[in-house]
Amino acid sequence: MPVVGIPVSLLEARMGGDLPKNELIEELQRLGCDVEGFATLTRFKCLRCGNILEITETQDPPALCRRCGMDFTASPSLRLDLGPSEVIRMELLAVRPDMFDPGGLARTLRGYLGRQRGLASYPLGEVAARVTVDPALSTPACPRPAIACAVIRGIALSDDLIKVLMNLQENLHWALGRDRKHASIGVYDLGSLPAGDLRYRAVGLDEKRFVPLGFDPEDPAAALTPRQILELHPKGVEFARLLSGFEKAPLLEDGSGGVLSMPPIINSEHTRVKDGSTSLFIDVTGTNRRLVGRALNVLVTSLAELCPEISISPVTIAYPDGEVLTPDFTPQEVILGVEDTARLLGVDLDADSLRDLLVRMGHDVEQAAAGPGAGSLLVHVPAYRNDILHPRDLMEDAAIAYGYHRIHPVLVPTMTVGGERPVEGLARAVREAMCGLGFLEVMTLQLTSEEVAFDAMRLGREGEQVTVEHPISSEQTMLRESLAPGLLQTLAVNAHREYPQRIFEVGEVTRLAGTETGAAESRRVAAVITGARVGVTEARAAAEALLRELGWGIRTRNAELPSFLPGRSGELLATRGDEERVVGRLGELHPEVLLAFRLRHPASLFELDLTSLTGLA
Amino acid sequence: MGPAPREPSRIGPGLSSPAVDSYGPLCYPFRWLAPRQRAGASMTTLHENEFRLLRALAESEGPVTVQTLCAALGLDQSLVVAAGRALVEASLAEGQERSFDEYRLEELGEAYAREGLPERKILAALLEKGGRATVKELPELSGLDPKTVGQSLRFLSTKGWAEKRGGELEQGTGAKSAAGDLAADEKLLALLAREGTLQTTALEAALAAQGTRLEDALELLSGRKGLLRVKQRTERSFSLTAAGREAVRGAQLRRQVNQLTAEMLSDGSWREVDFRPYDLSAATEPVYPGKPHPFRRVLEETRRVFLEMGFSEVTSPFVESSFWDFDALFQPQDHPARDMQDTFYLSRPNRCAEPPRALLDSVRRTHEDGGDTGSLGWGYRFDEALVRRPVLRTHTTATTIRALAEDPRPPRKVFCVGKVFRRETIDYKHLPVFYQVDGIIIDRHASFASLLGTLSAFYRKMGFEKFQFRPAFFPYTEPSVEVFVYLEERRDWVEMGGAGVFRPEVTLPLGCDVPVLAWGLGLERLAMFRYSLNDIRQLYASDLGWLKEAASCR
Repeated sequence: MPVVGIPVSLLEARMGGDLPKNELIEELQRLGCDVEGFATLTRFKCLRCGNILEITETQDPPALCRRCGMDFTASPSLRLDLGPSEVIRMELLAVRPDMFDPGGLARTLRGYLGRQRGLASYPLGEVAARVTVDPALSTPACPRPAIACAVIRGIALSDDLIKVLMNLQENLHWALGRDRKHASIGVYDLGSLPAGDLRYRAVGLDEKRFVPLGFDPEDPAAALTPRQILELHPKGVEFARLLSGFEKAPLLEDGSGGVLSMPPIINSEHTRVKDGSTSLFIDVTGTNRRLVGRALNVLVTSLAELCPEISISPVTIAYPDGEVLTPDFTPQEVILGVEDTARLLGVDLDADSLRDLLVRMGHDVEQAAAGPGAGSLLVHVPAYRNDILHPRDLMEDAAIAYGYHRIHPVLVPTMTVGGERPVEGLARAVREAMCGLGFLEVMTLQLTSEEVAFDAMRLGREGEQVTVEHPISSEQTMLRESLAPGLLQTLAVNAHREYPQRIFEVGEVTRLAGTETGAAESRRVAAVITGARVGVTEARAAAEALLRELGWGIRTRNAELPSFLPGRSGELLATRGDEERVVGRLGELHPEVLLAFRLRHPASLFELDLTSLTGLA
Repeated sequence: MGPAPREPSRIGPGLSSPAVDSYGPLCYPFRWLAPRQRAGASMTTLHENEFRLLRALAESEGPVTVQTLCAALGLDQSLVVAAGRALVEASLAEGQERSFDEYRLEELGEAYAREGLPERKILAALLEKGGRATVKELPELSGLDPKTVGQSLRFLSTKGWAEKRGGELEQGTGAKSAAGDLAADEKLLALLAREGTLQTTALEAALAAQGTRLEDALELLSGRKGLLRVKQRTERSFSLTAAGREAVRGAQLRRQVNQLTAEMLSDGSWREVDFRPYDLSAATEPVYPGKPHPFRRVLEETRRVFLEMGFSEVTSPFVESSFWDFDALFQPQDHPARDMQDTFYLSRPNRCAEPPRALLDSVRRTHEDGGDTGSLGWGYRFDEALVRRPVLRTHTTATTIRALAEDPRPPRKVFCVGKVFRRETIDYKHLPVFYQVDGIIIDRHASFASLLGTLSAFYRKMGFEKFQFRPAFFPYTEPSVEVFVYLEERRDWVEMGGAGVFRPEVTLPLGCDVPVLAWGLGLERLAMFRYSLNDIRQLYASDLGWLKEAASCR
């Protein structure tokens, strides 16, 4: 999870009175925040693009601007040191983007600490703009149909605020946008836009040119087509995959045809927010109207929390199927059963106490009228919450407000009879017998490679193994289908230890099978002995002792197996009455196998399939 | 004085090394214990070798040399000497040491013995010439080189055979008698040439028989190099003391042995011997039992705890369909956990069987708009093509959700301890394969409080006293909780795993309308804390040193 640094001064200014640090951390943890602690960050501003860069105490000042690519080593004067700032570092709680920034977090804390009751309200001004949406954006040629916009006026953009805004934007991209795929946010200087309706439309990849953010507006060569941006601009290259398969590019244009941005890739240079900008135009584009709406709501209400003096004006979005107004702060209505909640949480709650809990979580609550809904609450969920899919989600809100630490742990009153799987009992008997024979149990990794599983064992690769599509390393390309190679690898890392060595493993091996998932496990035991004078007899003695302990008769017969010295390998047959079948193999390892595993002494091993022995898996 | 010995004298075996012996089949090394007089007992206990030595000495009146004893007892010199010293310490014997010189000829000495000394040749030539000759003509007369002639003049004078006067050599007073009689040194050379090596006494006796004293011969040879080698030797012997003879005569003698044998037990001779005491405080080579892997103990303990709490054990395959690993758990299809980055997808098998149609429909609708669950759903189009993609199961929640689907009727409690797979690069805290314990409780009376109670019971049984529950988020549970335990040695809270009440979006499509409590807890961490490991890789490196040393019990 990404970690965010919440500036302490901004948080305290907005949470309605400060708290001792340790209490603040404790309360944040009770809200579900994974707090790492307090830290001091040093911030720098790129004077070329206005980007603000943060470093921790252990990092060196940035050499490059991460946004525009400015090289500060060449022009140190363009890197402005803004000085230190104390932050609370915490992991982002992905489902609560409304708590990513100091404004939103302060809002949650105010309610939770009882400093503010119920739904926070954000007045909306007059409709400030209109965006027409091209129907082509709902076609496979350019599938990015959803957009939500807002206009912010009267904002004083301090460096602190700019950094908070940038962080929030980035974190919303991550959490709600799945790295801009489902939602991407653009922020523009409203003052740079001419009057007139904006257009959100699909344009041909070579149809139109604009100067992307960070490029020189005076340079005629800096005006690029969407295709060129995807190929040349750093952000275009980084996010090109989001438009892969697109025959057209989404473009947000002003009334005069000037480009605001090419979502979800890059804004234009001329709409860039500048020092002294006081009005902003904000858009969120994406795949789903509800989601882009929620992302906009989070961003705009958090801004309002940070700068209560701003005014928010809605924007009309003219979809082909009708108009909507964004941002839309209409609360989501959810009916929540009081008794259901009390029973699910295992906490004594009546309608009043449950209402109090929900109010502390920022909801407005009405008692439902008498009738079929009696005993339920009508909950008005704030429009910046994106995680309330079901009444159950409000039960968790109530539980958090109540405090997990105050919930009395109990056990379910129902009696049930437990039992282990028979194969585990069998495995235990095997381990006991092997330990009694003086073998040490080892545990090896389930993933291996063809080199180790087959080549090193002098076996062909045409096994029935399960193979991984994108291995992390060449050592982990398949699930093991035998225990023997892992044991030999274990011997290799123990070459410096005392001899003789006797080790065994009981574990699963996997092979392709005609089952529902296409593969199945069987339980096996394998053991290996190595030392100066070890021969096949040791393995045979142990294997036969084990089978005897498991209640089977034993017959061992010679069989030529490639991993072993010719004439010194065989099959283990389990016998019971007239029944007799091959359940394992054994032998003295072939010198080529020993050398492949870098073993310096002779070794013998046996491997027994407990599943084919007993039918248990 | 005779010539100085050329080589350092070296006598016998080292006496300071302990006696080497067989200590019986267990071969525990221990410090050598000198036998000693048993306090206050008239009975004397002797080790086997000492006992035999005493008997051998009793057969002879006087001292017996070690050499003789070695032959008689069939023992190494070192063992005889050690046994002898033990007898001496016990005052049963006394030891004698006699030093003597051993003489033999060197190469030049052998040549002179054969051909005669140079001065003898010169004397013969002088007498032939009439008792007088110039020094210059002597080499020619004697057949010697001028240098040897020059060196020999001194010996001619010492022996009184000739005297140099001016340029001439003139026969001396002893010349005549010398002609028929060998000088003392010549006798010594002749004797050693014949006998090889002789000790002082034998040499003295042989020379005396020829009327010569050894000292005279040595005096004559003093200063002449390359003729004679003299080595100093010591001869060691032992003889019994009166007490020793008394001990042999009387019956107050006991044998000491290392090993109790079956014969001793059957013939009763164990009563007549003493057993050599061993120093049990001395260090020994450690031995180790065959035993289970330390992590196995944690896994087995975990299983036992849930079995004790009335849970039934379930399992599911490592290769799992995306449907059971993700979709059935209401995991959004674009959730990062489903990325190729985090999950092992497979090239073979490459397709799982399709889930039952009705179930798939129900799950699809729940994802899209909540279906019949009262949820909004995720608001996207569910892609049915994804459900059949096989993965290596990313959690054992796939196991418990299958168990729930198989039989959703309450009350049920099931658990699974098993391996799960995540696409993690191996480092000190990550492995691509690790163990989890997942459990669910399907129960009409189950609540979030009973989830916390069950988790508390588990961690308390696993030996943790302080734990904390914090809100958390998982796509398939609501409310969700993360368990933290307090580690005294770290003075900090450590996250152990996640839990929650399955969302209705998970349980309702599977036909379950009662609360289902669920948890998935990592077990490697637990093992690392128990065995104070800092690196998760140690659990699977299977270092035999660690496996042997790790104690079975806390």
